[in-house]
Amino acid sequence: MSDPVTATEKSSDNPILWVAKPMVTAARQFAKSLVRPSTVIYPYERLEDPKFRDQVRIESGKPIGVGPIWDNYRGVHALNIATCISCNLCAFSCPDLCIEMVTVPGGDPKHPKKCPQIDYGKCSYCGFCSDACPEGCLTMTTRYELSVTKRSEMVYSPQKMFGIYEQKLPMHPIRVERPANEDQILLEPPLCIGCNACARDCPTQCITMLDIPKPEAKAGEKVPKRIWKEPVVNDSDCVRCGTCINVCPKECLFWGNRK
Amino acid sequence: MWINMGPQHPMTHGLWNLRVKIDGEVILDCDPEMGYLHRGIEKISEDRHYNEVVTLMDRTCYVAGFAWEHLYILASEDALHIVPPERAEYIRVMCEEFQRIGSHLMWYAAFVQDLGLMTPFLYGMRDRDIVLDLFQSYSGARMTYEYMRVGGVRNDMPPGFSAHARRALDWLSDRFVEYDRLCLGSEIFRKRCDGLGVLKASDCVATGVTGPMLRSAGMRRDVRRDRPYSVYPQLDFEVAVADGADVTGRYLVRMEEMRQSIRIIRQILDWLDHHPGPVLADRLPRWLGAPYAPVGKEDYVLKRNYPKGVGLSSIEEPHGEAQAYVVNEGSEHPYRVKFRSPVFANISAARHYLIGYRVADIPPIMGSVDVCVGEVDR
Repeated sequence: MSDPVTATEKSSDNPILWVAKPMVTAARQFAKSLVRPSTVIYPYERLEDPKFRDQVRIESGKPIGVGPIWDNYRGVHALNIATCISCNLCAFSCPDLCIEMVTVPGGDPKHPKKCPQIDYGKCSYCGFCSDACPEGCLTMTTRYELSVTKRSEMVYSPQKMFGIYEQKLPMHPIRVERPANEDQILLEPPLCIGCNACARDCPTQCITMLDIPKPEAKAGEKVPKRIWKEPVVNDSDCVRCGTCINVCPKECLFWGNRK
Repeated sequence: MWINMGPQHPMTHGLWNLRVKIDGEVILDCDPEMGYLHRGIEKISEDRHYNEVVTLMDRTCYVAGFAWEHLYILASEDALHIVPPERAEYIRVMCEEFQRIGSHLMWYAAFVQDLGLMTPFLYGMRDRDIVLDLFQSYSGARMTYEYMRVGGVRNDMPPGFSAHARRALDWLSDRFVEYDRLCLGSEIFRKRCDGLGVLKASDCVATGVTGPMLRSAGMRRDVRRDRPYSVYPQLDFEVAVADGADVTGRYLVRMEEMRQSIRIIRQILDWLDHHPGPVLADRLPRWLGAPYAPVGKEDYVLKRNYPKGVGLSSIEEPHGEAQAYVVNEGSEHPYRVKFRSPVFANISAARHYLIGYRVADIPPIMGSVDVCVGEVDR
């Protein structure tokens, strides 16, 4: 049990000291600030500028006060279009619904390649999208200057974010360890019609359609009309994006665990 | 005569209105009006995944985001029957204590500016920046952290964090001496604050006032000590109390709390150095959104088997005792989220500590309450 806190500093009886004592403290700080200023003269000095960083690190007496901006700052996104697999996970994980998947050139005409387009007027920079990205192609950079003159310029197309990627800004070195996901894509075989939609749309192409034997017709029963194939999911390649479940016309795929 | 101090007034620190009935300079009656900053956070939470609600918690109280994240996460883990790794709990408590320092420094800066002192305001804001730099080094943002997750925290500390944090703590503990010299050493400050806004312990209990206001009245009440949550039982610290029940008492309590927070953080940094390990629980249910996979119509099979529950948590937020209530009805969204804001109770009791004083006393008294309107209106 500690005693109640009492004021340690006592003021003097001399009225001149009432003002003079705090002024001495302030004057000492003022003298310090002439040698080591606490301010950054933005835009002429920038925290992310390596030259300024070294200068600050040496001259600043403060531990980190105006120290270097840390490289895991969550700023504007960078997108590597080449490695994007169009899995839609970033758009699914966005709490503000600011990500839209738009077509980019490069895919085959039947199944166009889709990459995220981000509306920074809505974005809250929470980083859920870059955490969700299974390929590490959508990352957040240290770039923070976003002023535009038109509202439509706040929407960053995939090409624009690829431009930021090519600048090779420091990019969020902390990658989130994703917990071991034990859920698998499971199939309810009697419902499947072997339509190939899941294997066609899988972004990682981890679904293969395997032949299954056609059953013999029993007396009084009709053999159902279908393609005699069934999807098999390669679990190690699956990124759990759920595209196959969403495109399945018969709702025969579902999340589950075989163990 | 009734006058409106607010919604836009330098005294209010946000959007709320203090209606005051005055006779000359003396306050006869007052009537705080809240609700100008209502954003419907509790209702929006019902439409979001458990982890996505964390983005709202940073915006609930914008100077104590980590405390509110911790509050919500404790309640939802209680409702979802998830146990986080111990290292994650230590990191969370460290965040909360750093946040307490940051919030109190913000309060110090705003409070002395209400008194008309510009110099300590600059010192408070400058030193708060050190805490924000530390937050940015591991969470990636300075105010909206989005760092805690159901079942742990987002990532571990970056390399070299411990050394940086220790240097920051050394720097900060030197600064407190300076603050006291500037404020307590100044007779002008003392004459302005001593014996002002007295709220006796009995009135505090009757009106639900908690936090530094209650402790400045001499009552040793602290949720961290009375109903320990998280890893607080393992940590050694004192509950700061003062006798005055006035503005100076609240100043003293907050300053001492910052010193105690530094003491707690030093213990946690020692623990973190010697206990590496995972920071996120494995085997989380997929539909929680923890691995950020979409939740589709097919998930009901899994969700049906998941235990339902009700989660309740209460923490010592920088402003007082905050509580959260989360109902898990077996869906990926919380069925109901409810918060108890300490500042709401603290400024609702304004009638008990304003009547009888003068109009010029309102800024120091309301400044000493540490109003954060974001959490009052939610």
